[in-house]
Amino acid sequence: MQPPTNADLVSTVCLPFLQAAQNQDGGWGFHPGAPSRVEPTCWALLALIGLESSNERQPEGFRFLRRTQLPDGSWPCSGEQNVGCWATSLATWALLKDAQSQTAVTAGLRWICQDWPRADGFITSFMRALGRRNQVTTQDDSLQGWGWTPHTASWVEPTAFALIALDQAPQGLLPDGATRRRQFARALLYDRMCPGGGWNCGNPMVYGVPGNPLVEPTAWALLALRDEPNRRENVMSLEWLEKNVSGILGAGSLALSKICLEAFRKQWPMNAPDLNELYVRSEFLGNVPVMAWTCLALSARSAWPGAAERRSDA
Amino acid sequence: MHRAEPALVPAFQRPASHVAIRRAESYEQDLFELTYETLRELQRREEAATASSVVTAAKASGRLGDMRGKTVLLKPNFVGFDPLGVMNTHPAVVAAARESFLKLGAARVLVGEGPALDRDTEAIVESIRLREYVGQLRGTFTDLNLDDVERVPLRTRASRLKELYLPRTVLGADFVVSMPKLKTHHWAGVTLSLKNMFGIVPGGCYGWPKNVLHWAGIDKCILDINAALRPDFAIVDGISGMEGNGPIQGTQKKGNVLVFGNDPVAVDATCCRIMGLLPERIKYLVGAGTLLGHLNADKIEQLGESIANVRTQFAVLKEFDKIKEPTPEESN
Repeated sequence: MQPPTNADLVSTVCLPFLQAAQNQDGGWGFHPGAPSRVEPTCWALLALIGLESSNERQPEGFRFLRRTQLPDGSWPCSGEQNVGCWATSLATWALLKDAQSQTAVTAGLRWICQDWPRADGFITSFMRALGRRNQVTTQDDSLQGWGWTPHTASWVEPTAFALIALDQAPQGLLPDGATRRRQFARALLYDRMCPGGGWNCGNPMVYGVPGNPLVEPTAWALLALRDEPNRRENVMSLEWLEKNVSGILGAGSLALSKICLEAFRKQWPMNAPDLNELYVRSEFLGNVPVMAWTCLALSARSAWPGAAERRSDA
Repeated sequence: MHRAEPALVPAFQRPASHVAIRRAESYEQDLFELTYETLRELQRREEAATASSVVTAAKASGRLGDMRGKTVLLKPNFVGFDPLGVMNTHPAVVAAARESFLKLGAARVLVGEGPALDRDTEAIVESIRLREYVGQLRGTFTDLNLDDVERVPLRTRASRLKELYLPRTVLGADFVVSMPKLKTHHWAGVTLSLKNMFGIVPGGCYGWPKNVLHWAGIDKCILDINAALRPDFAIVDGISGMEGNGPIQGTQKKGNVLVFGNDPVAVDATCCRIMGLLPERIKYLVGAGTLLGHLNADKIEQLGESIANVRTQFAVLKEFDKIKEPTPEESN
């Protein structure tokens, strides 16, 4: 099988795949035929919004998201759950593109700003006040971003998702405290960077051993911090990403790297693997988010962070 | 339809467990023949034990039994991007198990894993060349992080968790095989077939890492997960393991063994003894020994190599010095 071209991959593979994978209820599962979930629905919608020919069933996708919002303004990961989680940032981000969803967006933004990660207990806080650092990790545990699930610790990706959602929201919709939360979260991301640049899930150093950065958390953290392209941590992390693109083996990581490097106006490395060839290898394992990210990586994407800056350059 | 979970039976009511230790020094050798013959031998032992036992052994422990027509799920430990093959269950061991269960009559043998730290599962399985060993991944491999989920009330209350959302692929399998690598672990002491079951908890619901399990207590969650979804069988890849700061950043350590058994607790206890560690000092194994399987060596029928023949001391972080077996000098 010959690999398709970039344009063909979007128009003849990814777009039809995403359209066909939309369920009757308007949402998407992680794979075609799987029950709708919030996260893949958000990625599919964000991808389709940027593609002109794909507007027919988008309103149903937005309706699915509005319908699955919990009374407290959050979204659960799965329809059976009744507790909100990090998917709230993604749903809020996606619904910002829909004029009918302002009430849902406002409630989502409020939940994001009120959702604090789990704090240390009294003894740990007391020890920190006495100047005793965590002996296992070297990170600053007083910094707070967002966790994956309520009452757990802060991690890089959910913090980046929340920052992007808050950054995309119009100032008038942001609740009180949003500015403070963003400042804390940005400080947390910089604190959690691995010593040589790049991010993993959020442990830059354990037992004195530097953590290994991973592509996806690095791309998300950089996208969340993209308004400081010249800051030392971001420069180091971009260099790490550029250096490691050639060794990427997963389509999801590759697509996100492309989006990220383009958002920072970096040249796509000549020795980077080809998304088309990765598609031929395993058809992205039928993974809806990966198909969506591939669409975004290979097409003009008005709905994506960094796109606004590129448009104003044009 | 869901698999029927075995009853939680106190250790004193359980029949003896069977564990086989096989010497295997290389991933290039014929692991299929070794695996298949070991499974057949364990099947025969089980049949003999069941025939002579008044205890309902079938309810108490996993059974190889008649595999014909069954859907088997192999749950390896694919924890991270690993082109050098240091941290993950080797795909040659997975392929040998897959072929063996098919030869025993299984209708389907799936491979499923939900890596805890890196959501690019495709990159992880490509880095270890899984496709070269088991063929096309679509239809064979399931990323458990992104699988459909179902609410499962927990049967035990070791942690404060009352329920978990678990993957339908695991819940729907007739026979679940935990396939860890022989490794030390910087939070839990060792990571073997029981700890490996953390990988069935879906990142798509709980994130990367599955931090809710850490806050609820790693040791306690290991018990709750394994009581809720007890693996029927364990095959440990100890050909090459990891010591020190495992499960990711430790040092490669040759173990030169594969360990098989119908009782994951007994398999893990045996692996600890092979690693020169004391299973009675590992908190979650002690808990597991009360309701999930046998920790006591007297209740483990050993096949194949003796522990003494294959014992290799694995280094642990100083925080875990207490789990090391004392040297003869220390004993005196």
